[in-house]
Amino acid sequence: MNAMPSEVGQIVWRHRNVIDVDCFTREELYFLLDQARHMENVMDRPIKKVPVLRGKMAVNLFFENSTRTRVSFELAEKMLSADVVNWSVSGSSHAKGETMRDTAWTLEAMGADIVVMRHGAVGSAQYLASKLKRAIVLNAGDGTHAHPTQALLDLYTAWKHLGNLEGKKIALVGDVLHSRVARSDIIAFKTIGCDVVLSGPPTMMPREINSLGCRYEKDPKKAVENADMVYLLRIQKERQQDGLFPSVDEYHRWWGADDDLMKYAKPGALAMHPGPINRGVEIASEVADGHQSVILEQVRSGVAIRMALLYLCGGGAR
Amino acid sequence: MGKILFTDFKIFNGTEFIDDREVLVEDGKISKVGKDLDSSDAEVIDGYGKILSPGFVDLHAHFRDPGGEWNEDIGSGARAGAAGGFTTLIAMPNTKPAISEPSLVEYVLSHGKAAGASRILPSGCVSKNREGKEMAELLKMAEAGAVFFTDDGAPIATSSLFRLALMYTGKDQPRIMEHPEEISLFKGGQVHEGKVSALSGLKGIPAASEEIDVARGIALARETGGRVHFTHLSSAGALGLIRQAKKEGLDVTCDTTFHHLTLNENAVINSGYNSRYKVNPPLRSIGDQAALWEGMLDGTIDAIVTDHAPWHMDEKDEPFQDAPFGIASLECAAAVLIDFKNKNYPDVPLELILKQMTSSPASLLPEKWQSLGRIEEGAIADITVIDMERTRIVDCSEWFSKARCCPWEGIALTGWPVMTFLEGRKIWQDNEDL
Repeated sequence: MNAMPSEVGQIVWRHRNVIDVDCFTREELYFLLDQARHMENVMDRPIKKVPVLRGKMAVNLFFENSTRTRVSFELAEKMLSADVVNWSVSGSSHAKGETMRDTAWTLEAMGADIVVMRHGAVGSAQYLASKLKRAIVLNAGDGTHAHPTQALLDLYTAWKHLGNLEGKKIALVGDVLHSRVARSDIIAFKTIGCDVVLSGPPTMMPREINSLGCRYEKDPKKAVENADMVYLLRIQKERQQDGLFPSVDEYHRWWGADDDLMKYAKPGALAMHPGPINRGVEIASEVADGHQSVILEQVRSGVAIRMALLYLCGGGAR
Repeated sequence: MGKILFTDFKIFNGTEFIDDREVLVEDGKISKVGKDLDSSDAEVIDGYGKILSPGFVDLHAHFRDPGGEWNEDIGSGARAGAAGGFTTLIAMPNTKPAISEPSLVEYVLSHGKAAGASRILPSGCVSKNREGKEMAELLKMAEAGAVFFTDDGAPIATSSLFRLALMYTGKDQPRIMEHPEEISLFKGGQVHEGKVSALSGLKGIPAASEEIDVARGIALARETGGRVHFTHLSSAGALGLIRQAKKEGLDVTCDTTFHHLTLNENAVINSGYNSRYKVNPPLRSIGDQAALWEGMLDGTIDAIVTDHAPWHMDEKDEPFQDAPFGIASLECAAAVLIDFKNKNYPDVPLELILKQMTSSPASLLPEKWQSLGRIEEGAIADITVIDMERTRIVDCSEWFSKARCCPWEGIALTGWPVMTFLEGRKIWQDNEDL
């Protein structure tokens, strides 16, 4: 574990809701990372529980299936002693015949203090937050827009390995167009001072990459060159049916991460992935299971960073 | 019907401001424009220097009636128009059922009259039931009172139908109004393809979608000699094609909307993806917005329309991606544009935008309605009084329209219509003014 960077001091936490990472300053990000480190210590105790959210009700409202993110949030909430309710809605709110406004008001009437939401529609987390008077909202993914806790756990994982992240280079490879992970990661890593380079099929890139504030290299070798972190984005196979790339095999040959691609990165560069991984598509097993892979550490980091956010936004810090 | 003398007004005659300060209205028509007019037995309205303009003509509004009266009906739409200074509103035919036969044209006309507010003129579909297959009974609908033919909400489905309709209608029938969009580039789209789609991940609608369809329409206008009006133009590229086509002498015209002139994609981003900014065509780039103003200045754009697309709050108040497309603006559109122009284009004369809201759109209507949009002797006395000093906060909760949200909610705007007359009869007045 690295020493606390000098940026970290005591700060006043001003955030209630977390819709995306763009609300955080660099100082706040480092403060959050430091808090996550304390939370990770709790995970190693024989009794994995602290009472900071005792008596608070957390609702995990999931309109899309996501076992990993939901379980990660649930573990974090339970380790902080919150009472946890999982509310899964298959399909959209429309399919269920209830507007999100009504869902929000129902939650509040039931006394929810913290709402963690995953929803397929861009802007849904912001919308929910605008309708809730008392409960706070943590965005667990809104469509293709944002996935702030994923970006923060990625940052935390990288920080634990690399220390001060200023000037470090991260290459994000894959389907940026449809990736909320990529959008939030770009903001998080840029805010903390990293050089962010994208690669992937041009059909899976936003048209105006400049507006994201990062570079694009069609050739992944150029993108990965001298990178400190190589981040592989999940390829959803149905994108092939949309005609965005001709075959999984062709994708893997060009943009899949194997040992050969990793050679272009700095020695010891981290191989990262938000999971679940598609072996043989965006990542070869030799990389996923290799010594550079921190994929399972990312999973562990996720619990720690979510504990930190829950604590700061919904618990004793306010 | 009585006699009204409008005195001490700054008169905009549809083209320019004139020196005369008085207008006399008799029997629903303008009988005199001049100075020191005989006012015996006339009701006198003193303008104290306010602007007297022809009533605004909106070539493009949706009233959801029949079939969607929950969101708006012809009566609420007509009253909303009056409160926004619009005296003539062209109702789009994409209702349920779609307006594609004469009896439905009559339905829109009669319900419009019954509302006793602004004049509602129907448009009819190009295709039967708006299915994009066979031509609807265009001549019969024109006879019943349709003033445009359009499959708006969608482009004309096939180039062959578009071509046949242009040949069939020619120069003596209402114009074809095209909603320019290449459908395969739209599919699933939510926002402008550009900065906003990059940042949000929302599927983009490229400007090329509009350009391609405008190019198709121009080719067909050239080939048939027919008249095409492209509605709600949003992109620089499409505008450039129309500019060229006009230079070539083709009979093509176009309009853009109040919201495309005054907003761009940054509004969507800055709102945190609030659904009140969700509209199709989408709010495009700053560059596109600037190009639309250039098109206003050089005369490429013939009209400004609201594309008033009302939704009940229960429909519209949803996360961005789940909400329907459409901005409702009848009751604030004029103020939005006047305020925007004064702040951002102070050197653009007010006449220019007023012309595109009055005489210029009226000139695209059938012969019968050509005198709309003008203040001159013998013209129909549709009059809108504008108070350039009036400041009001946009409050959708007070609207006649059943839509209760818009992008400008809560914003203070200066320069509002304050009185509206249809055929010499007052149909709306801002009670806090005068």
